[in-house]
Amino acid sequence: MVALRLTRAGRPAVQFRRLLVAAASAGTGFLLLGALGHALGHPGTAGAALRLAWCVVPVAATVYFAPAVARTDPGTRPRPGLSAVGLGPARLTLVSVLTTALATVLGSLLALLFFLHLRGDLSGLPFDRAGRQFLAAGRPFPVPAALTLLAVVPVLACAAVGLALRPRRDPRPARRRVVRGLGGHTDTAAPRETFGAYGRFGARARAGAVAAEPGPGTTAVGTVPAPGDGSGTPEARTGTATEAPDDHAPQDPADGDPLAGDRAPEDERGDDDASLLADEPTREVPAGLPWGVAALAAGLAAQAYGGPALSVRALTALPAEATTVLIGWAVTAFGLVLAAPGLTYLCGQLTQAVRPGALRLLAGRGLMAEAVRIGRPLGVVCAVGSAAYALTVLYRGPAASFGPLALLGAGVVVGCTVATLLTAAVEARQDRAGTTAALVRLGAPRSMLRGAALLRAGVLVVVFGALALLIAELAALPGTR
Amino acid sequence: MDAPPDNDVLWARSLHFTHRDGSPGIAGISLGVREGEILAVCGPRGSGKTTLLRCLSGQVRPDQGEIWFNSAPTHTLGPVARERLRRDRYGWIDPAPVLVPELNAWENAALPLMLRGTGRRRAKAAALEWLERLDVGERARRRPRSLTLAERQRVCVARALAGGPTVLFADEPTAPLHRADRAHALRTLTTAARSHGITVVLATHDSETAALADRTVSLLDGRRVKTVHLPETTETEGRAAWSLSV
Repeated sequence: MVALRLTRAGRPAVQFRRLLVAAASAGTGFLLLGALGHALGHPGTAGAALRLAWCVVPVAATVYFAPAVARTDPGTRPRPGLSAVGLGPARLTLVSVLTTALATVLGSLLALLFFLHLRGDLSGLPFDRAGRQFLAAGRPFPVPAALTLLAVVPVLACAAVGLALRPRRDPRPARRRVVRGLGGHTDTAAPRETFGAYGRFGARARAGAVAAEPGPGTTAVGTVPAPGDGSGTPEARTGTATEAPDDHAPQDPADGDPLAGDRAPEDERGDDDASLLADEPTREVPAGLPWGVAALAAGLAAQAYGGPALSVRALTALPAEATTVLIGWAVTAFGLVLAAPGLTYLCGQLTQAVRPGALRLLAGRGLMAEAVRIGRPLGVVCAVGSAAYALTVLYRGPAASFGPLALLGAGVVVGCTVATLLTAAVEARQDRAGTTAALVRLGAPRSMLRGAALLRAGVLVVVFGALALLIAELAALPGTR
Repeated sequence: MDAPPDNDVLWARSLHFTHRDGSPGIAGISLGVREGEILAVCGPRGSGKTTLLRCLSGQVRPDQGEIWFNSAPTHTLGPVARERLRRDRYGWIDPAPVLVPELNAWENAALPLMLRGTGRRRAKAAALEWLERLDVGERARRRPRSLTLAERQRVCVARALAGGPTVLFADEPTAPLHRADRAHALRTLTTAARSHGITVVLATHDSETAALADRTVSLLDGRRVKTVHLPETTETEGRAAWSLSV
């Protein structure tokens, strides 16, 4: 009941996002039923299985979209008040799963109704029996099969939402979200040792001293090796530290952010060495870029190897060598998704490089901070876009054989991925609402904040648009030669 | 209300404000802030301190009443002009430190200057100078999340002071801090304000904090009250207010 109440009380934008999930679920369900109808109409042909296999793509897109919407749902976000009365993260996960189930089941039911209507089983409406031959109207309708197919999307979407929003062992405040996985936040308890941290200058030299001394003021570069340095006296003479030790000793481990205490030694080591040379060592760099590029190259190579003279006539009647090409496409898409966060981070870094003003600083750093959240869906959109482009280049059949079902599938996939990207942007904006309000209180012009957002979007569009075009051209090259 | 003296940098007359949900904010508050003084706006929680500061700093528009800054009305200005006023003339310190998480400490402190269009080098120099003065200079390259709460709040103070505001609004700047940090932050804030001639409007519910100010304006339930006697011991916040006579 709580789920229903919370669902009903949403604002229009929230309801719109939920309706989008329902629409995606409806489209996917109709595609699945369409495959079923085709199989009923043409028993014993090989195309049916292939049709059903193609439905995996829209199903995946829908299941990818559902958690993104669930994450931005304000009704299912942990709230202090609700948590105090016992509606904590665990129950809220259940609530968001139920909300997703509601939307997807609604979509599936719509798909079923429309399917039955097109078959002519429900009469009295326009387009009655419009798809009679196509959807095997004359044959009895296998209800269990249809229900099984229609249950696929709700079950998978609910599982994905539950997995993405499952309560974590140690929920930390949003400030500490360092690495965001596909869903939720995975933050490691101990600071991770980044690449090259072991060999960094002076990283090991004072490890013993740091472990012995709790006070942070005693680990500066110019520490005079006092006799009592290792024995933990707070009065150790320091070269550069200006703060009085008594100012900090009581507050550091106990006060405020409880993480400051267990992070302190690592930070002191990493930062004080480098502080004169560079800014804070970047810990948020998404790691997938090299792997992504490798996968991208491998996928393109597989496509080039597999299909030197491939031309698609119909998606349901692929030649034998198309398997290699399809595997190549999958690997390419995977590589894009892996590489996109790193690329986004690079875009941000380039935006704020070389003496930035406030605009470029806010735009670039924002991009760097949101690299994973924005980058993943952006990579997916990029992969879908380049696939669509390459497919239109490779396609040599008559124009009419891009049937309505193929168009519907393409629409579902493109719509879901783009909507996921936009939802991720909404999520990022929701996360930054507090910061934006503080900036406005400072008197930051709203035009500048909008300009920063536009700059961010523009850089991403230029870079990723070029990347998608490049990949699509490379992928289509063997086929068009 | 007596006639405003010439040296009032900020002057408000019979301010009324009702929140959007209809709950009463402030009702008929008049006050003048003299140039270079530290004015404490004192009162228990819910007495309208934050609302008054938000009205005075131009973040919200009062329903009725006038606000004059440097002999020019600000209650008639549009949102863009008030935004520019906040950027160029005012400083603001939140009760809890709200820093831009992806900028490091000195970039945060230099942000108001950069927003004004000051060159990066000059903004950085000013920010670093203030951070040094507030004892967070050696953490200038850290991100906010690796700073303690007290350090973050000091970065906020530095951010407000680095722009060299005419009036600095501090809305309970020491609320989340322990007493040692609280005294330190307040001391630096008041010292900096006095040495640079910055007018400070300081909201607080703490009579110890109010003692640092030149003058105290007491609020109760959105109205200005005259203090007869503040008791020495305040065990719970708000108890002091009940011994006020209106």
